[in-house]
Amino acid sequence: MIQYLISILTEGAIFGIMALGLNVIWGWSGDFDLAYYGYVALGAYMTLVLTIGRQPPPAEYILGLQLPYLVALLGAVVSSALMGLIVGLIALRHLRGIYFSIVTLGAVYVLYVLAGQYVPLFDGYNGLSGLFNPMGDALGLDFQSYQYFFLGFCVFMFILVFIFMARISGSRFGLALRTLREDERAAAAFGRDIYLLKLRAYVLGAAFGGLAGGLFAAYLSAFNPSAWSPIEAIILYSAILVGGKGNIKGVVLGVVVMIVLIQESTRFLPDVPGLPNVVPALREIVIGAVLVLFLRFRPQGLLPERRYVDRLPPNRVDPGVDVLPPPRPGTPDRRPRPARDRDRRSTRAFPPLPAPGAAAGASVRGPLAQDRPEVSTSVPAALVVEGLHKHFGGVVAVDSCSFRVPKGQVTGLIGPNGAGKSTAIDLISGFKLPDAGTIFFEGTAIQGLPPHRISRLGLIRTFQTPREWPGLTVLENVLLARWDPERETLWRGLIGPGRAQRSTSKSELGRAREILADLGLDKLGNERAGNLSGGQKRLVEFARIRMAEPQLVILDEPMGGVNPVLGERMVVAIEGFIASGTSVIIIEHNLPFIERVAHHVVVMSQGSVIATGPFESLRSNQSVIDAYLGEVSGEVSYE
Amino acid sequence: MHEVLLTLGFGLVTAAILSLSAVAFTLEYAVTRVANLSHGEILTIGAYAAYLVQQSTGNALLAALAAAAAGGVVALAMHTTVIDRFVRHGVGTMPTFIATLGMSFVIQNVLVIFFGAANVAYTIPQGAPHQVGPFLWTSTEEEIIISALGITAVLYVIITYTKFGKALRAVFQNRDLARVTGINARLVAAATWFLAGLVAGYAGFILAESVGTFNPYFGFSFFLITLTAAVAGGLGKPFSTMAGAIIVGITLEFTGGYISSSYELAFAFAILATIILVRPRGLFTNAGRAIFE
Repeated sequence: MIQYLISILTEGAIFGIMALGLNVIWGWSGDFDLAYYGYVALGAYMTLVLTIGRQPPPAEYILGLQLPYLVALLGAVVSSALMGLIVGLIALRHLRGIYFSIVTLGAVYVLYVLAGQYVPLFDGYNGLSGLFNPMGDALGLDFQSYQYFFLGFCVFMFILVFIFMARISGSRFGLALRTLREDERAAAAFGRDIYLLKLRAYVLGAAFGGLAGGLFAAYLSAFNPSAWSPIEAIILYSAILVGGKGNIKGVVLGVVVMIVLIQESTRFLPDVPGLPNVVPALREIVIGAVLVLFLRFRPQGLLPERRYVDRLPPNRVDPGVDVLPPPRPGTPDRRPRPARDRDRRSTRAFPPLPAPGAAAGASVRGPLAQDRPEVSTSVPAALVVEGLHKHFGGVVAVDSCSFRVPKGQVTGLIGPNGAGKSTAIDLISGFKLPDAGTIFFEGTAIQGLPPHRISRLGLIRTFQTPREWPGLTVLENVLLARWDPERETLWRGLIGPGRAQRSTSKSELGRAREILADLGLDKLGNERAGNLSGGQKRLVEFARIRMAEPQLVILDEPMGGVNPVLGERMVVAIEGFIASGTSVIIIEHNLPFIERVAHHVVVMSQGSVIATGPFESLRSNQSVIDAYLGEVSGEVSYE
Repeated sequence: MHEVLLTLGFGLVTAAILSLSAVAFTLEYAVTRVANLSHGEILTIGAYAAYLVQQSTGNALLAALAAAAAGGVVALAMHTTVIDRFVRHGVGTMPTFIATLGMSFVIQNVLVIFFGAANVAYTIPQGAPHQVGPFLWTSTEEEIIISALGITAVLYVIITYTKFGKALRAVFQNRDLARVTGINARLVAAATWFLAGLVAGYAGFILAESVGTFNPYFGFSFFLITLTAAVAGGLGKPFSTMAGAIIVGITLEFTGGYISSSYELAFAFAILATIILVRPRGLFTNAGRAIFE
């Protein structure tokens, strides 16, 4: 009985390390990696070839050293990390989703076939054996006490790994990984080098796989192709899924439920007489079925990933109660609400909205439109685009497009559908590569740079559909808008003292709260961004941009599907950008909105710029009327 | 020269089986956007069904029909019990993809309970090899190639000329838009999975016939090669997939014949990785590689 308990606990600790490693790749970075069990296996093989020495022929394998076990363990970690690096370099470069999974499946099968067929590597199907009680002889342990010792060793390693993961989980690095999982494009738009970050997560995960493999080899004292199959990763996936993807405590719970209770405990059940396969097969059926059922009915797992909850009084709100925007003044609010909250509403930080009738009047025009300078070359340019060109197959999307964006002003970019506006934005922000042309941002040539580099220079864009990080809270969305090269490293996440260990600093938190309050989102700070309405998500994007403080922001159809009340807040927000020295480009089909906020308008049609100038001047421009404005040009009015 | 032609002949047999399996896989993908990792199990079940019928009746034609029928039923069951529910519930592509891996695990082990994990010998008198043009084929191999051509022709007519085929293509292009225009996308998807199941079940039968033995994991290993062929051709596009299958089938036969057949799977994946990295949308689609597309 004791024997049985010891082996189950030892296995539990080893599988726990494996699952925590895979959780970095799948739970945080969001990649469904089918090669993972290959890293475990490689770790096991490497540990053996580094410790068992040479054995008499016909046994044949590489290395055959007799290193101390702990050194071999390190070797296992390094070799798995190296294999992870190679696979990651290839598979993470351009591939996502099922294509990534398929390539990793291929990689692990290549390893599996090589290990099984290419005898000089790991002795083919015979595999390797002979690692008995590593470290035991040195410590003078007999077989009985060795078991306890090895259990203790595995649990110790598991605890170390758990602490490591707990630090990473809450660190800025851990959060940055989650932005990749939640929305990669937005992560790139806010300065994250997605390839590098994903690669780091992948190699880190693989290294832990190797560590678990090294322990596994010592536990089994042998390893061969019948001891593993690439598809065993599915057991780890079911454990992570059941426990709670992304939550390390959940992952451990999942390992206890799926691996300790279901997978390993049933190994010792007696066979059904006459049907030797029933028990193991039933076990795997349960694992497969649980995976399917959880994916459908409880994808967040038993212990869902916990989000940072801002507990300071001003933003305190019961999550989920207040997902709707605050009710209009005068409308009785029937929703239950803590008293403190009710008191606060009258004094909330969002400035009173102008009455709709007054909207187009001078009162809100403020710093923006009261004095619209004629755009001339005397205003320094934030962005200069020259001869930009892009074609997709035979379709020319952007054709020798040139324009300049004056500093400290709002430039509207308008044009009929298919004019090439969005493509031009993609080219400027690095999300697509131009075929020809130059783009100067603040005097730096940026054409052809990757999106994160452009973002880091201070040019941030939004997308036609809001790209919030849906699984993170609104506050986290805002906090993570600021790319921080200092604190976003693995190392700082791991050892950073005190506050740096926590994902955010006090002043940053204060700034984020302030921005949310300004935009009327303060009550939603702890809400998951994915639960917000379309308009609120837009405001979250505005909040992120305020936090990032770029020199130039490109807003791609910010008014799409947004109601007039939120629209007003956007006008205020845009005025805020200008006031803080951020230049703005807005693509928009809502011409009254453009007329109201833009100092200067660029009209595109069929891939090139057909006119530029203040909005009024374009009304009389025949080519603009032909291409875009049409008959409505004379009677546009706001409302 | 003679040896090259001989290998080419064997390659064509592999390609015929592979193209049926791959076209079924790609049809499943086309209507649900799910790369079905339990596709191989349809082949396995087809093989077992054929084996059982062959044992009791001794009739190869009945065995072939049983394989197809069993494949169709299993694929339809996969669609209605899991895939369709996931799609309707708005579960994303990746979770559905992972679920099909779970399904594959379940089916393999159900088969283990019923039939045991050991290899089943499926011996059909193959007949003496004889010269067909430049190739050397047994009559079974001839049947495999002819039936594969026949099934391909039928599929071509269904997909290109029938109303159902039009609906299928519409659902592939844009499921929501297809529904708005009055196409019952669920019904089309279910029917397509059934059709794909018929083809895959039959592919399982001819694969078992040509290999000679099988076990509950047999479909999964062949699936890995199927995946290579389907991705090489372009997921969701039946006829490009077939072309991909022919290229991959013949390539594998040559690498197997000239280097070593034990590394077949590794070669398949080397081809696959290369294709995905260079032309992720398939050999016949002119699309660049980029994350943001």
